[in-house]
Amino acid sequence: MNTVATHETFEHPALLYRGEREYVDRTVSFVQEGLDLGEPVAVAVPGPNLELIRTALGADAEGVLLLDMARVGRNPGRIIPGVLRSFADAHPQGRTRIIGEPMWAGRSALEYPACAQHEALINAAFEGRAVTILCPYDEANLDEAVLADMRLAHPTIVSRDGRRVSDVYDWRSVVARHNEPLPAAADAAVFSFDAANLFLARAFTVEQAGRLGLAGQRLQDAELAVAELTTNSVLHGGGHGTLAVWAEAGQLVCEVRDTGRLTDPLAGRRPPARGQIGGRGLMLVHYVADLVRLHTGDEGTTVRFYLAC
Amino acid sequence: MVDPSQAVDGREPRRGGTVLEVGPLPGRPGIRARGEISEVTRSPWEAALAGLARQHADVSYVELSEVGFVDVAGVAALAVTALGLPGGRMVVEHPPPQVPRVLGLFWPGLRRLEMAPR
Repeated sequence: MNTVATHETFEHPALLYRGEREYVDRTVSFVQEGLDLGEPVAVAVPGPNLELIRTALGADAEGVLLLDMARVGRNPGRIIPGVLRSFADAHPQGRTRIIGEPMWAGRSALEYPACAQHEALINAAFEGRAVTILCPYDEANLDEAVLADMRLAHPTIVSRDGRRVSDVYDWRSVVARHNEPLPAAADAAVFSFDAANLFLARAFTVEQAGRLGLAGQRLQDAELAVAELTTNSVLHGGGHGTLAVWAEAGQLVCEVRDTGRLTDPLAGRRPPARGQIGGRGLMLVHYVADLVRLHTGDEGTTVRFYLAC
Repeated sequence: MVDPSQAVDGREPRRGGTVLEVGPLPGRPGIRARGEISEVTRSPWEAALAGLARQHADVSYVELSEVGFVDVAGVAALAVTALGLPGGRMVVEHPPPQVPRVLGLFWPGLRRLEMAPR
């Protein structure tokens, strides 16, 4: 056995659990094992589950970064850079241990494709790094389709039956299958942009989003996010595109379509070096939005972001 | 290149309705800008910051009260300039809201870059 290679191997097990007790037993023993080994440990799970783990850890909780995933990971697209890489990069020596639970029963059908892609892309984002990310899945309350994606996106699965290799592991298939076309909204306000009128695309966003009820920092965020997406279209996506703004189920939606194709599956999720000027546009959109949906193909790329009004 | 020690408001040709004027700050070390900082005006903005860094001693000021918008790369150029200073600090005066927002997301706790809010 090559101990150096083992040390540097990324581990991404799914934890299949049933009920509160099994959840707490498994997650807390994972955390305590890390603490015993002197590994930095972070736990990012939905609020109620976080409280279960915090209570069970007792005084040990002080040595663990505890994050409410429903808040920090509301938009699944920001979990890799903003939660996982952020913690792992802050602890470059030795192995880092994280519990990340991005998928819970309350996730909407709109959010799910982004959740599934996020789970799959973790494999690409951490390849070759000494990090262990354990992803709990609530077997009793998640759909079979979600559990099927779980088996595709995780190389190993831990359950009450032990630890086994997922014989269907194929994360790329999850990314590809959830690269779903995003049909144009019927009632959107639409603006065509190119290099000459990018500033008007921003003004259009502020006017339309304000009319639809967005205000304050969220309105400023919409303007900034649209500026980044339209600039990307002009620079990398064929030079021009279409901006659409509408409201949907209490959320403001902004969409930018262009004729380019996004070839890097980790675009917007790979933190650039601290001293690098470019490369943060799509990541900014992930950071400020409640949800980002993206489709890319031969016919072009569509990025749609959602902000609660 | 815009050299803040010599330029009298170096004006970029108007393009796409977007303009940026950058020049020296009267009476203090630093620069002032007017217009917007985006892809279209990237070049004079980064050149002005490079000039500021060359002349930096202890404190340099960046006056942005007449700037209506700064995109992420524009804020990144500010942060990267501050990171590259050999010492001292930069004070960004009266920035538009994108500046503190983007710094908070990507460079939290960057002590070398101070904000004097609008």
